[in-house]
Amino acid sequence: MLLLPVVVAAGLAVGRLGLHGHVSGMRVAADLALSWALVAAALAVRVRPRWRRSGLLLASASFALLGADLVWAASNALWTLGFLLEGLWAALLVHIVLAFPDGRPWSRVAQVAISGAYVATLGGQLVGAFVDRDTRNVLGLAPHETIAHTVDRTQEIAAIVVGLVVLVLVVRRLRILGGPARRAQGPLLAAAAVTAASAVISLGWVLATDSVDSAIETIVRAVAVSMPLGVVAGIVWSRLRRPELSALVVELPTRAGSMRERLAQALGDPTLEVAYRLADGRSVDATGRPVSLPDGPDRTVTAVTAGGEEIAALVHDPALLDEPALVESVRATAGLLLENERLAAEVRSQLAEVHASRGRIVTAADDERRRIERDLHDGAQQRLVTLSVALGLEAARADPAAADVLSRAQDDVEGALAELRELARGIHPALLRDEGLEAAVEALARRAPLPVTVHGTVGGRLSDPIELAAFFVVSEALTNVAKHASATEASVLLEREPAALQVAVVDDGIGGARVTPGSGLAGLRDRLEALDATLTVESEAARGTTLRAFIPCGS
Amino acid sequence: MGTRVFIVDDHQPFRAIARELLERAGYVVSGEAADAAEALDAVAADAPDAVLLDVQLPDRDGFAVATELAAGDGPAVVLISSRQADDYGRRVEACGARGFISKSKLSAAAFAALLE
Repeated sequence: MLLLPVVVAAGLAVGRLGLHGHVSGMRVAADLALSWALVAAALAVRVRPRWRRSGLLLASASFALLGADLVWAASNALWTLGFLLEGLWAALLVHIVLAFPDGRPWSRVAQVAISGAYVATLGGQLVGAFVDRDTRNVLGLAPHETIAHTVDRTQEIAAIVVGLVVLVLVVRRLRILGGPARRAQGPLLAAAAVTAASAVISLGWVLATDSVDSAIETIVRAVAVSMPLGVVAGIVWSRLRRPELSALVVELPTRAGSMRERLAQALGDPTLEVAYRLADGRSVDATGRPVSLPDGPDRTVTAVTAGGEEIAALVHDPALLDEPALVESVRATAGLLLENERLAAEVRSQLAEVHASRGRIVTAADDERRRIERDLHDGAQQRLVTLSVALGLEAARADPAAADVLSRAQDDVEGALAELRELARGIHPALLRDEGLEAAVEALARRAPLPVTVHGTVGGRLSDPIELAAFFVVSEALTNVAKHASATEASVLLEREPAALQVAVVDDGIGGARVTPGSGLAGLRDRLEALDATLTVESEAARGTTLRAFIPCGS
Repeated sequence: MGTRVFIVDDHQPFRAIARELLERAGYVVSGEAADAAEALDAVAADAPDAVLLDVQLPDRDGFAVATELAAGDGPAVVLISSRQADDYGRRVEACGARGFISKSKLSAAAFAALLE
């Protein structure tokens, strides 16, 4: 609090210097207004501990501005000090804005702009002091008018570049900020945009006319007063929008919407997310999907506990930390309510895990099927084939009686081979793997004991699980048609829709097909459900059967 | 001199029985190979009239090997497999081979019919 009288006194002293030095009253008033507004803002941000660094920068800017006005003093040493400090207050304002509110620069670009502002002002003045020809300059060791002029122009160009960067960064941030952060920072950012624009215009004027106009400097300072006022306005706006804590506690359980929406509304942070902590330590959202808690300055995680156990985490805008009482009361109230949602999220997560596990089991079973089919082909089938050919060869040169025995033996081997081929095709059809669904389904149709027509197209290869599932739909359906339907014909439809593959098998048989536990259709339905696919059976008596599956396959 | 045939199959007992079957019918078996690489080298050096080629080889797909062998003035290629032609869809016609014989149906007559 000592700050206030010190700045007021310093301001009055500097003002007096100005008036004695024949500086315009408007200019003195503008400087005093800006420095006092800056120090007032520095005091106001003390209510927000996270803004402490911004408070220090605001106070520094206030003193830097008054320091620069020492050029109004009669003393050469004070004049030189004022000369060195000229513009530093503006660099500090750039620093305040691009690192607002917690004093950490927003980004690497912001960091570069801040550094650029300090180099252009303090650095430029230091170099300029050595070559400036003013008689009051005690540092003028090598006065040189041309170099001094060049230094001035360079400073002005650099300041224009910094001003434009500030303008772009501020406007971009204004567009992305929302919720409590927008309320707290919006007024300062708006004021900074206006100030940066006016500074760029005035510097452009100076550069174009090659003359410094005191009136323009006064206007820029007057516009800059909006920045400390913006800081204070942000604090006031946030306070005004803060809901009454007691009302919040009563209303939270009865508000409409999901818990996330209710908490977001209660805390005024639309970006708020809720991560539920499961018993196994994982964090999931309300739908049970795993989420990772953020680790960075843009988001803050607040733990919610119930019965001494952490049950959820609120992931929110760090600006909410400036309202600790608000967050604390919501945290206390939300505990029990969140516990119910956490249990629901846990069940959803377990369901998702079971679903994923079922998918893995089907994939593992398919891999095993593929291996068995290959083993059959490479092993038993090869031996039986060789045996069959050998028996045929021997039969050709044996006497008639032996030839007859050998031929019958060869027929038996052929029968065994045919059964083995059918078994292998049912386990995992080689044609499906090599040529795709359409070729495999056409082969099924050709081998069926009744006329089967195939319609539609799938437009190329699909993933293995989808092709296998579709193949088994057709295979199971045609097997059932042949065994039970007493049909005269059947048709297969394969149709690739935007998000799913439709597979339908229609016959003109006696109908009456049902999915019974343990049946082939039940197994087929399990396989399809692992892919989020659906299977329907329409089978009224005497009206044929339609088996239809929709298998999601993306677009 | 009889038609010179080269046999390609990774199953040695089958190669032996196929050789006997063909030789008994008057063919000259110029050589045997158990995989595609060996077969391509040997056929290039030996220039047989026909190749009896298994579809499933350990190192390469038999259809691709058939396409390579049958290109230009290459030998007549007859594909064999313990599976049936139906298991391979349109690939048999597309690969440039003279035809396909299911291994268990292999006979000198079936082979000769495809070479005509």
